[in-house]
Amino acid sequence: MNKKKMLAGIIVFGSIWGFSEVILGSLIAEAGYPSGGLMTGFFAIPILVLTRMIFKQPGMQLGMGLIAGSLRVFNPFIGCQICSAIAIMAEAMLFEIIFYGISTDFKELKNLTMQTSIGIISAYVIFVGGYIVTQVLTPIVAGSGFYLENLIVFMPRILAAGVLPALIATITVPTILMVKKLDLSIKDRLYYSTAVGITIFCWVTVIGSWVIFS
Amino acid sequence: MGKEKIIPVFAMILLLIGVFSSIYVHANQVNKDTININGNEYTIDEIFSLAKTKTIETDEGEKTGASLEELMSKVGVSCSSCSIYTFKAKDGYQQTVDYKTLKTGILTENSRVYFPNTAHALWVRDVIEIEVK
Repeated sequence: MNKKKMLAGIIVFGSIWGFSEVILGSLIAEAGYPSGGLMTGFFAIPILVLTRMIFKQPGMQLGMGLIAGSLRVFNPFIGCQICSAIAIMAEAMLFEIIFYGISTDFKELKNLTMQTSIGIISAYVIFVGGYIVTQVLTPIVAGSGFYLENLIVFMPRILAAGVLPALIATITVPTILMVKKLDLSIKDRLYYSTAVGITIFCWVTVIGSWVIFS
Repeated sequence: MGKEKIIPVFAMILLLIGVFSSIYVHANQVNKDTININGNEYTIDEIFSLAKTKTIETDEGEKTGASLEELMSKVGVSCSSCSIYTFKAKDGYQQTVDYKTLKTGILTENSRVYFPNTAHALWVRDVIEIEVK
């Protein structure tokens, strides 16, 4: 995999991740559904696993987290954009840690038990980790200070909330891993133009929403 | 023990932690119509009769409710400015603010606190207790 292609992959998939979190996540939250859990299970984990499977490059998902986090800075629908941006970067970092022990060709994930198990672990740890980061950072950024006691009493709810994305990932991760059997090839010219088009669309939509709704 | 055993076992442990946490959360959910402020119980009507209402501007528009600054002086907090205030929700969520933040805030009729120009994380819903320390 050449570096230029991987860099384009980081930017385009990071932009898709950030776009889905900002636009779709906000719409789901507005509708009164648990957007964090649904977004982690249906979008974050599948997109992270898919890119790991296609590009086979450890560290790439951290780069995607940085891009997605940068997009989240422009989220007009939440109160603490910086906290939210750092949380998504932390989620990408946790994914890298979990998948550090998994080979890039996913040879350990050949049966359904392993696929669903890694889905549960990655979705649960990433969701809970991101949630904790937000809970720690938000009061600090808000200027009211972080109180450990507040986090400790809320931990059971955070741990409970991780079940939903974990269960969703038992379906989405094996589904994504099935794609491995398909031969997904795309010509370079088409790859770069598609990547640029998708990236521009994601950034323009998010920044446009930020300008309109802020 | 190889990865083939460790990974499923670890996944099962995480799921069990989540399930037991859910059970714990539901078992400990508090449902009451009063708010405990500084050790005393008040209904929302009593709170609104004690403190004047005020309207603040937030990034979600205007919000109207009982002034928290006035409420604290009316419920007998001896030194409002040297205390910190923890807002506890019925689902266990809680946030602590200092007086500088508190004095800008309000408590609405549906038991939610709002502060202008702060993260939404501080806007605790379904408040059941305001602890003064």
